[in-house]
Amino acid sequence: MSREWNIVVCVKQVPDADDVSIDPDTGTLNRSDAEAVLNKPDYNAVETALRLKEAVGGTVTAVTMGPPFAKAVLEAAVGLGADDGILLTDRAFGGSDTWPTSLALAASAEELDGDVVICGEESTDSSTGQVPPGIAAHNDWSQLTYVEELEPRPENDELVATRDIEGGHEEVAASLPVVVAVGFGMNEPRVAGLHRKIFSETEFEPEEYSASDLGIEESVGLAASPTSVGGMDTADPVEREREMVDSVDELVDKLQSEGAI
Amino acid sequence: MPGEVDTDEYEDVWVFIEQHESEAAKVSWELLQKGRELADEKGERLVALVMGEDVSHLAEEAIERGADEVLVVEDPIFEPYLPGPYGEQFSELVEERKPDIVLIGGSHTGRDFAGRVAVPTYAGLTADCTELEIEADTHLLLAKRPTFGGDAMATIKCVEHRPQMATVRPGVFDAAEPDPDREGTTTEVEAAVGEENVHSRVLERVVGDITDITDAEVIVAGGFGTEGEFGPIEELADLLGGEVAATREAVEEGWIEAARQVGQTGKTVKPDLYVAAGISGAIQHLEGMNDSQTIVAINDDPNAPIFDDADYGIVGDLFEVLPALTDAIRDEQEGTA
Ligand SMILES: Cc1cc2nc3c(=O)[nH]c(=O)nc-3n(C[C@H](O)[C@H](O)[C@H](O)COP(=O)(O)OP(=O)(O)OC[C@H]3O[C@@H](n4cnc5c(N)ncnc54)[C@H](O)[C@@H]3O)c2cc1C
Ligand SMILES: Nc1ncnc2c1ncn2[C@@H]1O[C@H](COP(=O)(O)O)[C@@H](O)[C@H]1O
Repeated sequence: MSREWNIVVCVKQVPDADDVSIDPDTGTLNRSDAEAVLNKPDYNAVETALRLKEAVGGTVTAVTMGPPFAKAVLEAAVGLGADDGILLTDRAFGGSDTWPTSLALAASAEELDGDVVICGEESTDSSTGQVPPGIAAHNDWSQLTYVEELEPRPENDELVATRDIEGGHEEVAASLPVVVAVGFGMNEPRVAGLHRKIFSETEFEPEEYSASDLGIEESVGLAASPTSVGGMDTADPVEREREMVDSVDELVDKLQSEGAI
Repeated sequence: MPGEVDTDEYEDVWVFIEQHESEAAKVSWELLQKGRELADEKGERLVALVMGEDVSHLAEEAIERGADEVLVVEDPIFEPYLPGPYGEQFSELVEERKPDIVLIGGSHTGRDFAGRVAVPTYAGLTADCTELEIEADTHLLLAKRPTFGGDAMATIKCVEHRPQMATVRPGVFDAAEPDPDREGTTTEVEAAVGEENVHSRVLERVVGDITDITDAEVIVAGGFGTEGEFGPIEELADLLGGEVAATREAVEEGWIEAARQVGQTGKTVKPDLYVAAGISGAIQHLEGMNDSQTIVAINDDPNAPIFDDADYGIVGDLFEVLPALTDAIRDEQEGTA
């Protein structure tokens, strides 16, 4: 049975990694003025979603959970070609770990009647990679993670993926609805077209969902998160010699005197 | 929200033994070593969980490497790995037997299904840990992981829910050695999953030799600067009896297999000597090699960040520096032989 697909792409706003520097004097992280950007691996997710739509037909809806200004990453996705964007924003979501975060995204995928949910491999700020399997688990949907290639089989309501596994790869067919986490760098993301970009920044307004719109207000936020941050230590920076040597012979001497070779 | 649990009902440390075609992934033995320590500290048992088709030999091996009990679930439905059946079976066991701590390897497979266990059991899951400790007064698991940039370590706790779950990055702990005299019990468990838990099927699986760079004493790594020419890297690695490794960039380009990737989404290595050639020194790469004893960087850009994290740096073209270095070391070796 062939039909068009509702494709949902999950995009996250993160501090710009390139803006995060290490203070050379204190050895601490300096990210106070880091700009908020679209999580880099999510560009691969948006690209995948757009290509799926081109192949099968349907719509691409970008979803993000975050504070009101996370709207910017929806604009980025719409600028790239997503048809619409949904902002999951609510005080109640504050402090959510991966359990409630994936619940909120799972509930919105249900609400949107999603056939395919596409995510990035991991977010550059929390880097758990746990949100995509979490979405699949909450909805009891199939999942495909670490995906390097994706082929839609609309005639079977299936997606076939090549997944990266230890020592090689495997080809897996998963029935819809399915959650996909695409490998970082799996494709070459397109550049936003000028008109679409202007539209996204001037006319596009995302629809907002609150926790109660999704009927999950009891199950999100800090209180519903099984884990909590118990502390933060600066990792002891490893002391390095940082010695520049001019010749290979000098290097060999150094390494020998250290017993490294 | 699922109700709170009586945390006192939960005990024992569980380790998932990841296997493919009846061969265990090394990270499982690393977890047994760490799991043994944690269990001893808490005065509880270490339980290993093995799922697959022909896996009873792995149960014996898990006991030799530290498990007090091994739960074995043998059924064709578990071969090859699929998230649906693995997640469902594991969740069932957790609900029935109530472990306090569950450790899973942070491989693609482990990270693929950990969430499928943590969500239905409402467990606290900390991903990609590099340190695990038991808090002295509370006996809680302190799961530590590098955060943003790897410059800080976050300690994650799970106070009110159980089990306390963690995926652990391969290569950070030493593997437990087998002791043929160790004793333990094996418990066979009936598979509790059916076709309704299978949402996907494996059409093809291509797995070559699984290279293991995590134990290497010498690593010569190449990055985007090699432009795909790994010859000089291999020559130096061969001479020093070491392994070749790479950045994610080089892996994405298809120049080298993924099993040799070092970094946040690759392996953690700590050789005596790490030579980084044509590698810029992105934080995600540094995270995987920062514990190396001595780091040498070769880069033609004097401002490459890698020099800040190296013991010795040479500014130059790797295609000149590496062969010269190989020759010089060979001369030394022959001279002193
Ligand atoms: C979520 C996420 C996870 C990631 N995980 C990892 C990971 O696990 N491991 C990892 O490595 N990266 C990872 N990355 C990617 C990482 O951010 C960098 O992009 C990557 O490490 C850069 O690889 P590189 O140093 O080979 O390439 P580049 O940054 O392009 O550096 C190439 C270097 O080679 C030098 N060079 C060029 N030609 C020569 C020559 N002839 N001789 C000498 N030097 C030369 C250049 O000066 C440059 O410094 C991750 C990124 C993200 C977002
Ligand atoms: N707050 C969020 N909003 C939308 N998508 C998210 C959010 N958090 C995580 N994701 C998605 O899940 C992927 C993996 O993130 P993580 O599990 O945080 O490493 C990301 O690449 C996104 O596609």
